[in-house]
Amino acid sequence: MSRRLVAPIFGMVTLLALWESFVRLFDVRRFILLAPSTAVRYLWRFRSDYLSAAWVTVQHAAIGLLLALSVALLIGSVLVSNRFLETAAQPVLTLIQVVPWVAYISSVVVWLGSGTAPALFMVTVVCLPAFIFAAVDGMRSVEPSTLELMASVNASRSEVLRRVRLPSAAPTLFTTLRFNLGLALAVAYYTEGANFSNKGIGAIGRRAAADNHADRLWAAIFAIAIVGVGGLQLLALLERTLLHWHAAQRTESV
Amino acid sequence: MDPTMLAADSVHSARMSRIEIRDLSKSFGDLAVLHQISLEIESGSFVSFIGPSGCGKTTLVRVIAGLQAATAGEVRVDGDSPEEARAHKRVAMVPQQPGLLPWRTVRANARLLLDINRAANPPDAAEPEALLREVGLGDFMDAYPHELSGGMLQRVSLVRALALNAPLLVMDEPFAALDEITRAEMRALLNGLVAGRGVTVLFVTHSIPEAVALSDRVIVSSPRPTTIVADLIVDLPRPRARDIDDEARFVDLCAQVRHALHGAMRP
Repeated sequence: MSRRLVAPIFGMVTLLALWESFVRLFDVRRFILLAPSTAVRYLWRFRSDYLSAAWVTVQHAAIGLLLALSVALLIGSVLVSNRFLETAAQPVLTLIQVVPWVAYISSVVVWLGSGTAPALFMVTVVCLPAFIFAAVDGMRSVEPSTLELMASVNASRSEVLRRVRLPSAAPTLFTTLRFNLGLALAVAYYTEGANFSNKGIGAIGRRAAADNHADRLWAAIFAIAIVGVGGLQLLALLERTLLHWHAAQRTESV
Repeated sequence: MDPTMLAADSVHSARMSRIEIRDLSKSFGDLAVLHQISLEIESGSFVSFIGPSGCGKTTLVRVIAGLQAATAGEVRVDGDSPEEARAHKRVAMVPQQPGLLPWRTVRANARLLLDINRAANPPDAAEPEALLREVGLGDFMDAYPHELSGGMLQRVSLVRALALNAPLLVMDEPFAALDEITRAEMRALLNGLVAGRGVTVLFVTHSIPEAVALSDRVIVSSPRPTTIVADLIVDLPRPRARDIDDEARFVDLCAQVRHALHGAMRP
């Protein structure tokens, strides 16, 4: 218990201390690397601005992730029972995954305008392929003998999906959720900056970079980092609660 | 005649399943697995199928359970097709791997087959919790599968099937993965559970002593394409004692099964 609490704090404090002393010792230019103490002080001074901006970014990332997850479960349930469609979907999903999303973001902004819509659209699309792959893999990981057992009482497709396939996919989906969280924050941040809105941490960061305002930029970086770490902690808690039965959640090792 | 006895009799017979198999063949593409098998199985009897590895015993019971269609011939379970019997939840399966769902507690796992296709549940379905207590898992109702031993998992699997109160119980090498001591325990437990329930049991196994200790009848099959080479009646009295292995008749019957099996393996 103490190791699980103390070790991460030790790691963070060490990083910040090294960072702070590096910046002071070598007198690094503020825009390139700002001392954490300065960034945190600035963040605290304008905390209400950053807090409302963070809330916007959190909504973009969270709603986008939930949309992507829901669409992925829907598409995944169809693909898992149809090999033809699964094979047909493969190149499309791979394409979404490999084409850099920053390349077509301007077109999306022109199409959907500024504000929330492009941010949600981008987060959903970018996070979708990994969720679909995870959903299909997870749902397919059911033991054939379990499926046969379900067949022996004439279980319907939807019963198999609900009672067996979806719960089986939960562990892989959680792993992907953790990976997609960082991606969703990056997409939300960038889209907020690119769509001329004045909301979200991304918008603050973009303007700060354009104005060469080091304090404001690094405070934005710290704000998005705090959001990310908070999100991961929340996910870990959720995973421990919902997937307590899963081998990866059992801490006692033999 | 005592009317309560009549009622008890009709309930009893409703739970029993007579199986008729006529000229049953099954192939997968060019691979012939079952060849013209004909067999009648009396209601309420315990029948073991034993034969060389990969000989199609599992295929045979899967066809009877309605999980696979026959290529030729006919199977009747109480006069119905296997698919009909399956649709009405009159077949309960105990697979080789317990296959409990890891996110369900023991109690919820024991209920699983009752929770699926509820419309077909029999009015006299058994109470899974009572069965769990009967197999000695009363203290583990709220445990999760990862907290149980292999023998306990297989006991839950057995309860899950018995809870359906289906007239036909199909068991495909259910004790194969267990150690010798647990296996002997499970054998005694199964004998006790099945006795008096009037259920017809089809039991696939590789173990001669297991087949003899449990069954009323042992059917020995040949390598693929499977035919029946011996059909032996086990006339050991019931209830069967735990130390039945020591009896001369038991040893004699085991030898008969072994000879039939060796005869079947010879080209």
